[in-house]
Amino acid sequence: MSRPIELRLNGRPATIPDVPDDERLLDTLRWRLDLKGTKEGCRTGGCGACTVLVDGRSILACLALTREVEGTAVTTIEGSASDPDLARVRAAFEKVGALQCGYCTPGFVMTLGGLLKEIGRSAPIDQFLRGLDGNLCRCTGYASIVRAVAEMREPGP
Amino acid sequence: MRPSVRPDAAVKLAGKAAYGMDLDAPGMLWGALVTAPVARGRLRSLDLEPAHDLPGVVAIGPDDLPSLLPPSRGEPDRAIFPTEEIAYCRQPLAAVAAPTWAGARRAAAAVRVVVDAEPALVDLESLFPEWPGPDARRSPNVLAYVHAKHGDVEGAFRTADRVVEETYRTAGVHQVALEPHACLASVEDGVWRVRTSTQSPFGVREDVASLLGIPESSLVVEGTWVGGGFGGKGASLVEPYALLLARASGRPVRLALSYREEFELGRTTLPAVIRFSTAVKEGRLAARRVRLLLDGGSSLPGRDFATGYAINFLLGPYRTPAFEVEGYGIRTNKPPFGPHRAPFAPQCAFALESHLDEVARAIEVDPWAFRAAHVWRDGDETPLGQRVGPFGLRAALDAAGELARRWRAEIGPGEGVGIALGFWSTNTGAGGEVRLELAPTELRVVQGEREIGSGSVLAGLAAVAARATGLPPERISIDYGDTSRAPFDSGVYGSRTVGALGRAIVEATASVRRTLAERLRATEPVHLGVDGGEIVAITGTVRRPIRELLRPEERESGLVATGQHYARTGSIDESRVVEGAFYPFTDFTGSAHVAQVAVDRDTGSVTVTRYAAFQDVGVVIDRETARAQVEGAIAMGLGTALTEEAIWSEEGRLENPGLLDYRIPTLGEVPVPEVTLIEGYPGAGPFGAKGLGEPPIIPVPATIAVAVREATGAHVTELPLSAERIVRALKLL
Amino acid sequence: MASFELLTPATVDAAIATLRAIEPARRVVLAGGTDLLLDIDDGRAAPSQVISLRRLPWRTLDWVEGSLTVGSTLALRSLEKEPEVARRYPALAQAVRAVGSVALRHSATLGGNLARAAPASDLIPVLLVLDAEVELVGPTGSRSLSVDRFLVASRRTAIAPDELIRAIRFPEPRPSAYLWQRVRRVHDISQLAIAVAWSPDRKTWRVAVGGIPPRSVLLPEVAAALGGERPGSSELHTARARASRAVALVADRRASEEYRRQLVGVLLERAVRSALGGGAAG
Repeated sequence: MSRPIELRLNGRPATIPDVPDDERLLDTLRWRLDLKGTKEGCRTGGCGACTVLVDGRSILACLALTREVEGTAVTTIEGSASDPDLARVRAAFEKVGALQCGYCTPGFVMTLGGLLKEIGRSAPIDQFLRGLDGNLCRCTGYASIVRAVAEMREPGP
Repeated sequence: MRPSVRPDAAVKLAGKAAYGMDLDAPGMLWGALVTAPVARGRLRSLDLEPAHDLPGVVAIGPDDLPSLLPPSRGEPDRAIFPTEEIAYCRQPLAAVAAPTWAGARRAAAAVRVVVDAEPALVDLESLFPEWPGPDARRSPNVLAYVHAKHGDVEGAFRTADRVVEETYRTAGVHQVALEPHACLASVEDGVWRVRTSTQSPFGVREDVASLLGIPESSLVVEGTWVGGGFGGKGASLVEPYALLLARASGRPVRLALSYREEFELGRTTLPAVIRFSTAVKEGRLAARRVRLLLDGGSSLPGRDFATGYAINFLLGPYRTPAFEVEGYGIRTNKPPFGPHRAPFAPQCAFALESHLDEVARAIEVDPWAFRAAHVWRDGDETPLGQRVGPFGLRAALDAAGELARRWRAEIGPGEGVGIALGFWSTNTGAGGEVRLELAPTELRVVQGEREIGSGSVLAGLAAVAARATGLPPERISIDYGDTSRAPFDSGVYGSRTVGALGRAIVEATASVRRTLAERLRATEPVHLGVDGGEIVAITGTVRRPIRELLRPEERESGLVATGQHYARTGSIDESRVVEGAFYPFTDFTGSAHVAQVAVDRDTGSVTVTRYAAFQDVGVVIDRETARAQVEGAIAMGLGTALTEEAIWSEEGRLENPGLLDYRIPTLGEVPVPEVTLIEGYPGAGPFGAKGLGEPPIIPVPATIAVAVREATGAHVTELPLSAERIVRALKLL
Repeated sequence: MASFELLTPATVDAAIATLRAIEPARRVVLAGGTDLLLDIDDGRAAPSQVISLRRLPWRTLDWVEGSLTVGSTLALRSLEKEPEVARRYPALAQAVRAVGSVALRHSATLGGNLARAAPASDLIPVLLVLDAEVELVGPTGSRSLSVDRFLVASRRTAIAPDELIRAIRFPEPRPSAYLWQRVRRVHDISQLAIAVAWSPDRKTWRVAVGGIPPRSVLLPEVAAALGGERPGSSELHTARARASRAVALVADRRASEEYRRQLVGVLLERAVRSALGGGAAG
C-alpha cells in the first residue's frame, strides 16, 4: 500500500507521494525528500543522530513510521535556520565550535531546540544536559557541547 | 578572527555536509553483503541463484571474479571472497545489489550459504593454556612474534630485593564512529571510481588496486566528509565490493554497512593478556620481563607492528636498566586486528601504570615519587637504545603531581585521586605532499585529505599555512582533490597530519619565497602581507601585489609550489632485538593525567568527578583544536576504562553488536576536563609541533584504574573496570 | 512494496473490529513503536498488518480524588512532565526518567511498555509495587486486571487477542522509590532494579525486582520482612537476606548471579530509605 501523505515540512505544507506503509521517517526524509541533514547512525534508537522535531517535540526518525506523522509539523536541520530556537542552538554551536566530525551535530541541535521549546531558555542547565542523554558524540567528549549549552542559555542581547 | 573556532561549523550545522552515507546517484543500486554465519568452518556451497531470480538484482561471488577483473590479475595477498575456509563470523562471502535497500537485504538473505561449522578459536588463552613455550612461535596460529632483550636480566632478578609478578587482561574495543562505512562506486570507460568516507583516499587506492589487480592509475578515490574515523576508516573495507558490484551491474552502487555490521566486520583492537615480572633493588627498578599475548583476529595487518610497537608501551617511559620482552600475535576466529586511536597503547599503559603502582606499594614508596624517579628525561635511552627527547613528560608529571595534591586535600570518603602517564610519537615518517597555489587574493593549500573531524586538516593545516606564510587565516583555503588531482598523502592517522603535511607546507612556503625573491630580485627576505584586499610580497621597503608578479600562465593556478615530507628519524640499537621488528620513535610526546573518582563500594559504580590532562604538545598550532582533541580523547578513553567491551560467544559470534549493548560514554558520564598544553619540548612537526590525535587517550584507563584503587583499595587487573569487577576486587562477591 | 499494511482505526470500536478481523499471528498493535519496530527490523516480528493506536483518544492523564489514571498511548515524556506524579508516585517518576532518552520518551508509551512485557522494563517493577490496574477494552466491554496478573511471562501477557490496553490506573499515592544498577547510568538496560512502595491504606510494603529474566516479580516475603512503615535495621537485615534468596538471580551477559545477589540487598535497603524520604530507617 502506498498513498500520498500530507504534513507540514520545515514550515511549509508538503505532500509526499507513494510512501509505503512500512517506511521510516528517516528514510523518507533522506531518500525521498533528499533531506540528508538528518543523519542515519545506528537505526536502533541508540545514538540520536536522526533526531527530528514533530510538532516541536524531538523524536527518533529511525523509530517512527512516516505515515504515523501524517498531519503533523516535521522540522529537520534543513529547516533550522527559520526556527528561532533551533537557530539559537546553531549559533551557540557555531560560536563555541561544539562539533568535530559533525555527524551527531544535527541530532544535538534538534534535541536542544526541542528542549528550548519545552522548558524555555532560562531552565537550569542540568535540565538541558540531562536531556542530551540519548545523543551520542564520539569526537568532542561533550566538553564543547556543554559550553555551547551554557552559551545557548544566556539571554541574548 | 574566523567567525567560529571550527572552519567547518557552518556547513555541518546547516546539515549540508555530504558524508559517505549521504551519497547517491541517478540509477544507483543499493549493495549488501552476504556474510559468513559461523566464525570457523568450510564453505560447502554458495548458491546465488535465488538472489539472481529477484527483480533487478545483481549478485557476485568468488566464481564471478575472473569475468569482472583483468586477466593479468596476480595472486592478491588476501582473498576478496573466501572459497574454502571461513575465518570469522560475518566475513563477506558474496555481495548483491538491488534497486532498493530493502531489495538488497532480501537478496542477501536469499543467497543460500552452506557451511560445515568447525569449533572456533575465540579465547586467546585457550591456544596455549600454559603460556607459549619455546616452540610456540612456529605454530600456524602465531601470526607474529617479537623478542628483545638488554642487560643482565637474570642477574637483576637473582639479586633483587623484591620481585612483583602480575597478569593483566584487556578487552576488545570498537572505534564507534557514528557514521558507518559507506561508499558509492562506479565503473565507466575503464575508470574505477569510488567516493568514500575514509581517513586515507590514497591508502584506499593502493589497497583496492592491489586487491582487485587493477593499476592504481585506473582507480580514482575521492574522500567525502567523514563521520568519525578513530583508525577504523584507514584501510578499505566496503570499497572493493562496491566497485565489483558496479562493474558487474554497469550502474553506480552504494554500499554502506549497517551499524550491526559495523561492529561485526569492523577491524579494531582485540583482547590481550599481559604478564609482568619486575625486579626492584634498593627502591629502584632493576629489571623487567614483559610477555604479551595479543589477539590478532584472523590476520594482523602490519604483523610485527602491533606487537613490536605496542611492546614499547609495556616498558613505558621509564629508565629500565635490564629487560626482556616477548610478544605473540595470535590468530583467532575474529575479524582482523585493526587500528583504534593509538592502537593498543591505552591498554598497555593501563597494565603498566597499574603494575607500577603495585610495585611502588609493594616497596612502600609513593607511586608519584616512584614514577618521578624513573621517568625519562632528555638524553636518557629508551629500552631499545634510542636517545630520548625533547620530552615534556617530566614537566607534565610535576604539574599533575601538584594538582593531585590539591585535589586530594579536598576529597571525602569513597573518593580517590589517581595519576598516570602515557607517551606516544608523531608518525610523520609516513609521507605526504602538498601544493600551494598563491593567487592574487588567496593562498590555496591543495592536498589529498578530507577533514575527519579532528580539525587537523581544515583548522590545523590552515593554522600552519598562516604561521608559515604570515598571511591571516581568512586568506587561506584548504583545498581537496581526489587521488587523480591531489598530491599524494598517506592518510589522516598516526597523529601525523599536521606534522607531516605541515612540514610539507613549510617546505613549499620556502619555495614560494624563493620564487618571489627571484622575481623581485630581492636582496632581503621576502614576506607576505595583505594590502587593500590583495596579497602582497614584501621585501625591504618594496611591497608588490602578487597579481603583478604572476606570469601569464599562472593567471588561473596562481604561483605554484610543492612541498613534501617523507623523513623518518630515530633508530634503535638492533643488537637488542632477538627476533622480529621493533620500531623507533619519531619524537616523544608525553601525557600526564589526573582523575578524581567517587566509587560506590557496594555496587562498584564509578563516577569520574574531576579530570585533568597535562599534554606535551611541542608548540601550539591551534589552541582550540588542540584542546578539543584532548577533551575528546579523554571521553573515548573513559569508555575503554569503564564501559566498553566487545563480547564474543564461544562460537565466535559478537554478542553485543549495537549501541545499547556496547556502551560508549554519554554526556552525563564525562566531566568537562581541565586541559593544560605544555610547550617548550619541540617535536617532529612544523615549528616543533607534536601530533595530538592519539596521545591524550593513552593514559586514561590507567588513570581511572589508579584512582579507583586510591578510592577503594580495589586492584582491578582487567579492562574495562566494570562495577562488577570492582566489587569482586573488593571481595564482596 | 511494503512488508506490512498500516491500519489506523479512528475509534475504539473500529480498532477492536480490526483486531477481530485479522488473525492474531499476522498482526501487531503499534503504540509508540520504539520497541516493536526494532523487533520488525530484526525479523523477530514479521506482521502483515500493523494496527496503530495513534488516532484513539487515549493520550490522557487524569486525577480522580488524588489518584492517577494514565491513558495507554500517553507519551512517557508527558507523564514525566506532570509535577504531581513525582510528588504522589515518586517511584513512577523515577522509573519513567530511567527509560531511554527524551526523544524516545516522546514516542514511547506506558501502555506499549506494559503490552510488550519486556523482561528488563524499568516501568513494570514500579507498576507492580504501586498495585497498578490495567484497564482492558474488548468487544464485550472493559475489564481490569492487576499488573501482576496481567504479566504472564517474558513477553507474554494475559491480554485477549481482541483486547487493547485503554489505561493504567494507580490506586492511592504511595511513598515509593525505584533504584537501578546499570553499566551506564542513563540510556541503558538495568542489570538489576528494585521498586518499593509503602501502602498507607493496607499498611504494608510492596517490593518488586526487575532487570532479570524472565520477568519482574513482586517479592511478598521480602515486603513482609520490612514490617511497618519505618523498618529498623533488623527488619532491613532480614529483608535483605530474604531478597537474595527470594528470586532466581540468573546470570546473563549483563551481570553474574553473584553480582546480582550483591545488588539486590544493597538496592533494597537504599530504596526503602529513599521511599522514606532519605530519613534514617531504623
